Amino acid sequence: MCCAAIGLLALAAGCATVVDAPPTPAVPSAAPVVIAPTAVEPKQPAAIAPTTVRPKQPVKAVREAAKPAPTLDIAGLTERLRSTSAIGLFTKLALKNQMDDLLQQVRAQHQGRGAGGVNALRQPYDMLVLKVLAVLQDGDPPLARMISGSREAIWGILADPVKFNALA
Amino acid sequence: MFAPARAATLLFPLAMLFAAPVPAAEDPALLRDLTTVLMLLAKPCGDVVSAKRQADNDHIATCKDGSRYRVFVNAEGRATAQKL
Repeated sequence: MCCAAIGLLALAAGCATVVDAPPTPAVPSAAPVVIAPTAVEPKQPAAIAPTTVRPKQPVKAVREAAKPAPTLDIAGLTERLRSTSAIGLFTKLALKNQMDDLLQQVRAQHQGRGAGGVNALRQPYDMLVLKVLAVLQDGDPPLARMISGSREAIWGILADPVKFNALA
Repeated sequence: MFAPARAATLLFPLAMLFAAPVPAAEDPALLRDLTTVLMLLAKPCGDVVSAKRQADNDHIATCKDGSRYRVFVNAEGRATAQKL
């Protein structure tokens, strides 16, 4: 076990093991020539990778940590959608019609009247959210961000029959 | 010399000939709204270039490609587009 662990560590250590490897001296003079490139090749990507990838990971982690916990204010969202001047009356009405249709389908699924379960409606839901975002992103970017940030929370309510019925 | 009435008779067709077509509706917000609703209703249109108001919430929209739609709110309260 110990030897195996040391062997693994030695393998993981990289080029140091290549130098220390005892069997290589027994190999004829051509062997070091073969080993040298193999020892160098892994170094190059290893030297490049940390400089390009590592700085991104902490930034991502910081961004994730800085994100506030997703909260959902449906009444506020509805009011913002109603009052925004970024979209016209016909557009609002068409979106409302499509939302009502989707809610009807979700209700039917929860009542066992639909096929495929509520998860089958995830794609239509995502499509509808994308439409809303596309319509809002130029005229009312803060509202678009609000909706985008609430997407999962809203789906969580739609997909859960208890939460959905409580809302309706 | 022409009599004034005769001059008017001659000038009127000329004026009509050179008169620019009067746009039906140039409200950019309305045109954008109609463009978006036609897109949401999956009606091939592109951009709405003009619109003529028929009644409240009832417009004839003319698209860039020449197609025309009646866009209105029907009795069930749904935004509807009918190809003309």
